[in-house]
Amino acid sequence: MTEAPAQVAVPEKAELQVERARRASQRAPGEPRNVAWLYILPGLAFYVLFTLAPLAHAVELSFYDWDGLTVGRYVGLANYREAFSDPLVRDSFKHSAELIVFYAAIPVILGLLLTALLTRHPVRGFTFFRTALFLPQMLAGVVVAQAWVWIYASNGPLNELLRTVGLGSLARPWLGDFSWALPAIGGVGTWVTYGLCMVLFIAGAQNIPSSLYDAARVDGAGAMREFFAVTLPGLRNEIVVAFVLTTINALRSFDLIYNTNQGGPGTSTYVPSLYMYQNAFVYNRVGYAAAIAVILAAAIFALAFLVLYLSGRGEER
Amino acid sequence: MHAPTVTRRWLGLCVVVFAAALAGACGGTPGAEQSSVKTEGAVKKSGFDKLGPVTLTIWSYDNQDPGLEPVLKELSANFTKKYPNVKINMVFKDFNSLVNVVPRALASDQGPDITEGNQGYQTDAQLVKARLILPLDPYIKAYGWDDWYTDSTWSIFRWTADGKTFGQGPKWGVAQTGQNVAVFANADKLRSLGFDPENMPTTFDDFQAMLADIRSKLPKDEPVIQFGNNEGYGTIHMYGGIQAAYVDPQSARDWIQHVPGSSYDTPENIQALTAYQKWAQDGYFNSDYNAKKYDQAAADFAKGQGVFWIGGDWDSSIIKSGLGDKAMVMNVPPGDSGTWASIGATSGPWHISAKTKYPDLCAAWLDYIIAAPEAQQLMYSQQQIPSINGAEQPSGDPFLGQVTAAWQQVSQDDGLMLYTDWASPTMYNTLASNFQQLLAGKETPEEMAKAVQADWEKFDKTLG
Repeated sequence: MTEAPAQVAVPEKAELQVERARRASQRAPGEPRNVAWLYILPGLAFYVLFTLAPLAHAVELSFYDWDGLTVGRYVGLANYREAFSDPLVRDSFKHSAELIVFYAAIPVILGLLLTALLTRHPVRGFTFFRTALFLPQMLAGVVVAQAWVWIYASNGPLNELLRTVGLGSLARPWLGDFSWALPAIGGVGTWVTYGLCMVLFIAGAQNIPSSLYDAARVDGAGAMREFFAVTLPGLRNEIVVAFVLTTINALRSFDLIYNTNQGGPGTSTYVPSLYMYQNAFVYNRVGYAAAIAVILAAAIFALAFLVLYLSGRGEER
Repeated sequence: MHAPTVTRRWLGLCVVVFAAALAGACGGTPGAEQSSVKTEGAVKKSGFDKLGPVTLTIWSYDNQDPGLEPVLKELSANFTKKYPNVKINMVFKDFNSLVNVVPRALASDQGPDITEGNQGYQTDAQLVKARLILPLDPYIKAYGWDDWYTDSTWSIFRWTADGKTFGQGPKWGVAQTGQNVAVFANADKLRSLGFDPENMPTTFDDFQAMLADIRSKLPKDEPVIQFGNNEGYGTIHMYGGIQAAYVDPQSARDWIQHVPGSSYDTPENIQALTAYQKWAQDGYFNSDYNAKKYDQAAADFAKGQGVFWIGGDWDSSIIKSGLGDKAMVMNVPPGDSGTWASIGATSGPWHISAKTKYPDLCAAWLDYIIAAPEAQQLMYSQQQIPSINGAEQPSGDPFLGQVTAAWQQVSQDDGLMLYTDWASPTMYNTLASNFQQLLAGKETPEEMAKAVQADWEKFDKTLG
């Protein structure tokens, strides 16, 4: 190895030797050394074993026609060809796109609104509100699903509320309705994720120097102006992070749908992860399920990169 | 700037790591190593007390409110009294959780010794094809189980060893109870609407006329038929009686078992789908049927909501506990053929794992829970109907007498249509989503018949 001036015999020449060795390796001071590999090895090993290897295995499986039990048959790209012409795959991704509105866009807006409200003036019981609003994020998906099945039931609290305030004509079995089932599930997604956005933004807002607010106030900015001129730009990074996280959540959503509607009524709440699950564990088509999984993973990567790229480009201006 | 170098370095690292992962993950063709079925010796029917400590793990989904769960628990307790060295670990899961997991569980070394599967191409065909369960023929011979079922009932347990031909080949399962989807009625409601519960319709036309009549007399927000279809099987069951009024049960069974030339897209079946769609359009069901679970609908009916509930007789105990002696049962009356038929079969098939160390002991357990007289009495006490021929009759319980009579009426008329979703691995979801669209008026009966037949044909091709 290059960094081994070990057998240096004469002590007074050591400095010189070191200098020579450094020149030989042609490395600027502070440049990464090979020993760095050793430091990242434990983490890397875990990452390879539990993230990359399964991913690679899924890619491999996607080239097979395999029932999960007996010997598989190599079919090349057939699974991908089928997936791209499968109307249910197409519908599933369309539904996912709709869910992004509910899982990402609305929670970010709600989160910003709450941040503006909670940070502008000292609020009594601030910690309580923050915790209470964040709570949905910490509940298990199955629990959330059961609770909302009850809320949405035809004589559940939501419909009772509508009837009490004289909007009985709007009452409906939300989860059993072809056009409302997906928005209803989206609503649950909003409820689950807005707390995360809010907590991110509040934390971010606390890092905005108060001098900026003072300056804005001196310039005569009102609450709205202050929000758009100081808070919003100051939260740029948090917004990007929130968008990426929630968008990924939207695309991966499974537990909520599996525990409420299983894709129904008809196919109105099918999403890629549900269809993938059904192919793998119900239809015994593991290869096809793997192909859908790979397409889904690619879509998630692409969207995440897109969000990061767009935000990064804005920063350069 | 050295930023690009760093990026390139990281890119290089990613490629290397990914390649390594790929190499590590690719164990060649998936599923290449296979377990083989062990060759069988002579069947032992006793002497299990000399085996030393044994734990049998048994999986079941018969826990619907409460269904067979208490029966299985009590019988297992009795069984372990007989063989104190045997411990029985009964595991209950809901239907979907069990059937979606059981193939992989059986393939692992920690799977159940005995499990329920599900007749049809989605589950049992897979278990047979992957050699995960044992053929029961040696036990059928040793114990004389032959006369438990008629030939047509035995056919639902038979598969060729490649899992492709349904209804022929070795027998892979046995079942405990008979399942019949019947019409449950609330006698009080019928009387209050001016109908005589003692004198119910005996033809499908009269039955439909009665439904229409009830609709016109009931308040608008009360359903004629209580319906729960959130899981998607409620509709498959509901349709059975209607289909039976137009379609010959044998042709329905042939279609499920992929007898060549069978079709779902026939004029008779389209007539039946049209009639079913009209039930929905005429407002016979509660509007939230797609959001309500099957057992919840049974429970709501038992609380007095709706005049009828059309569903499985395994939920009889829910109905009885709510309605008491107001509860009554009948089959959907027959169409022009006069044959009493309904959707139904036996309960889930019990299988013995190919990996169990104690197949003979498993067979002894099965023999006990199905054929022992106390087993049959326990089943009746939970309002369940023993499936095997020559089972004792219940006494002193008129409702249970009706449930039993309804089962016997269709099984003796050879009218059990089996479950339509057995016809292919994807059929359950295909039927569930197409029925929901049909009932919502988003699809015509003709379109639905075509869509379902297309699923059948796609799978039929793979059977070669």
